[in-house]
Amino acid sequence: MAAVATCGTGAGSTGSIAAAASKNNVTSFQRKGPRASGTDSGCSRLVSIAGTRPSVRNGQLLVSTGLPALDQLLGGGLAVGTVLLIEEDKYNIYSSLVFKYFLAEGIINGHTLLVASVKEDPADILQELPAPLLDDNCKKDFDEDVCNDKTPDSNIKMKIAWRYQLLPKMESGPVSSSRFGHYYDASKRMPQELIEASKWHGFFFPEKLSSTNIESCSLTHGYRKLLQFIQNVIYEEGFDGSSPQKKQKNILRIGIQSLGSPLWGDDICCTENCDNSHSLTKFLYVLRGLLRTSLSACIITMPTHLIQNKAVIARVTNLSDTVVGLESFIGSERETNPLYKDYHGLIHIRQIPRLNNLIYDVSDVKDLAFKLKRKLFTIERLHLPPDLSDTVSRSSKQDLAESSKLLGPGCGMMAGGKKHLDF
Amino acid sequence: VTPSEGAGGGTRRELEMESVLALGGLVLLRDSVEWEGRTLLKALIKKSALCGEQVHILGCEVSEDEFREGFDSSINSRLIYHDLFRDPLNWSQTGETLPGGPLGALQAMCRRTHPGPVTIALDSLSWLLLHIPCTSLCQALGALSRQHAHPGGGSPAEPLRVLGLLHEELHGPGPLGALSSLAQTEVTLSGTVGQASAHILSRRPRQRPAHQTQWFSILPDFSLDLQGGPPLESQPHADPHTASVDPTAHVTFNLHLSKKEREAKDSLTLPFQFSSEKQQALLRPGPGQATGRIFYEPDAYDDLDQEDPDDDLDV
Repeated sequence: MAAVATCGTGAGSTGSIAAAASKNNVTSFQRKGPRASGTDSGCSRLVSIAGTRPSVRNGQLLVSTGLPALDQLLGGGLAVGTVLLIEEDKYNIYSSLVFKYFLAEGIINGHTLLVASVKEDPADILQELPAPLLDDNCKKDFDEDVCNDKTPDSNIKMKIAWRYQLLPKMESGPVSSSRFGHYYDASKRMPQELIEASKWHGFFFPEKLSSTNIESCSLTHGYRKLLQFIQNVIYEEGFDGSSPQKKQKNILRIGIQSLGSPLWGDDICCTENCDNSHSLTKFLYVLRGLLRTSLSACIITMPTHLIQNKAVIARVTNLSDTVVGLESFIGSERETNPLYKDYHGLIHIRQIPRLNNLIYDVSDVKDLAFKLKRKLFTIERLHLPPDLSDTVSRSSKQDLAESSKLLGPGCGMMAGGKKHLDF
Repeated sequence: VTPSEGAGGGTRRELEMESVLALGGLVLLRDSVEWEGRTLLKALIKKSALCGEQVHILGCEVSEDEFREGFDSSINSRLIYHDLFRDPLNWSQTGETLPGGPLGALQAMCRRTHPGPVTIALDSLSWLLLHIPCTSLCQALGALSRQHAHPGGGSPAEPLRVLGLLHEELHGPGPLGALSSLAQTEVTLSGTVGQASAHILSRRPRQRPAHQTQWFSILPDFSLDLQGGPPLESQPHADPHTASVDPTAHVTFNLHLSKKEREAKDSLTLPFQFSSEKQQALLRPGPGQATGRIFYEPDAYDDLDQEDPDDDLDV
């Protein structure tokens, strides 16, 4: 990001100029700030922590989610102090992969991790993290993947609309100089030495549960213990600035898997009118308060397809900052639909936060699909082929998606005569 | 179906059914009023017992005698029956009933450490769902499957499978969804007239779930007879979609190009294409001349008077 770079160096240079000036006593203007010496990172208010960068849009400090395509959709990355909620797909395959990418990015950048889960031991989750793609062979792997997927038809370059070839593509390959987001190879595991060199805290709920009697456990028991654990880690390690003598600031990446599932003791997925329906929303509220006052970013995966009460889903969405829904085609009728044959599922960006801002930072692409190639997880614009049925409507892409859904059960079926092509 | 094909298919189907048991974890047998699942449960129990495993049964819905009926004595000796049917609330105070009620019985099963592979059959999960809260049941089942991964005795992980019978008509989508998300394998019973089928959905960890449909029937001695099933219904899902959804099928214009047509199309120079020939044509004038040339065709109304009034101007 050239603009940011020059801004950074510009700021740094004025800082050093001010420092030099104060040393020579040429001017009476003294730079006021916590860094009175002015020798280190300079005057910028932005903390220079590894793996973060300031947002060019609203000045927030961003961390990468581990998927550069997702970073692009979220406006550059995940803001520090916010919650990324992933609505799980039906069999929890791709959402756990996104979860692991987030943790792997933390390990590569040297952030501290906090992993909380109910089904798997956090140590096992960390063993299954994908390996990072190094710069020298990542380009080769990426080109290999692209070539494997290219059909002969797509080799035709645009002859008439050649100016559109200059438009930035949605899907960009790994940039060798990118230090912000990294690419990962889903078929390999992260090397053991990297995991051991990292600092992580694990919260495995059944272990904490075994110490107390299961019968007397209240609904908020699991959530309360998790919040206490997170608060302890934040306080002890000084992520909230409570220990000012810390030299090197770092980010805490919190990952909570399958929040809201019955294994946490929450019956929000089991019944529609549950007794303690507010425990999940209270948890998210308190968690957001903890995150806003510390240098941490959180990813939560939630099986929203199991939640019976739709009002709870709306409340949960409002209490989270960024909400991304994953919908996989496995087991649904879309799996055999040739319109979707290149992809494994759809991504819905349901909410983007408005942080210190009056406008949303929404990308103009709303129609997105993902696929897990042999090694890479890619997110692309879903290109629907032109609808050639009798019920085609030329109005908008949204309607195109609707009528292509209607095309599914049978080609000869008139979809109720809703949209006609009248000459 | 020729006999040889049937035999070959039989071994393949045997392997498919074996995979139901081999995967371990929670196997959910979803039955309904039309297609009851207890006979399949007993057939799977018999299969496990014949493999030499220990089988624990938590019986809630039928009495022990009725459950053991139909098994021969060698199998019956391997079954360890925990009876919750006779006195679930411990009213008789004889001390024979399991302590802690249904939940205590389930947790007691978690704590067993046995040297060999163990199968636990829960007959039925529906009864347990009606008597203990869903979250406690899910947590207990989760603890059972973790027992499978980290056994207490320190011995290497041995397959512990839990066969749970669930009557899907008794429960709403909430508990069904919650239990499905916990299950490694889901077997849904259905069928056509006279022939039962099992739709098996197996979720291996970190892999895409695979589903297949298996036609079977159960013989009176509870052994499983796997069949090919009616061939018309063997591939119910794939054909209508792939055959009919082809957007290029019924159009009134030609979407495909032959080779010659494609070559002609490629060699065509488009009017707005900035090719090198066009560039040469535009840059034809040499260095001395003006770069722009105006080509004007006078029409009928133009006055091309040679006696131009501007002639006397000294230009």
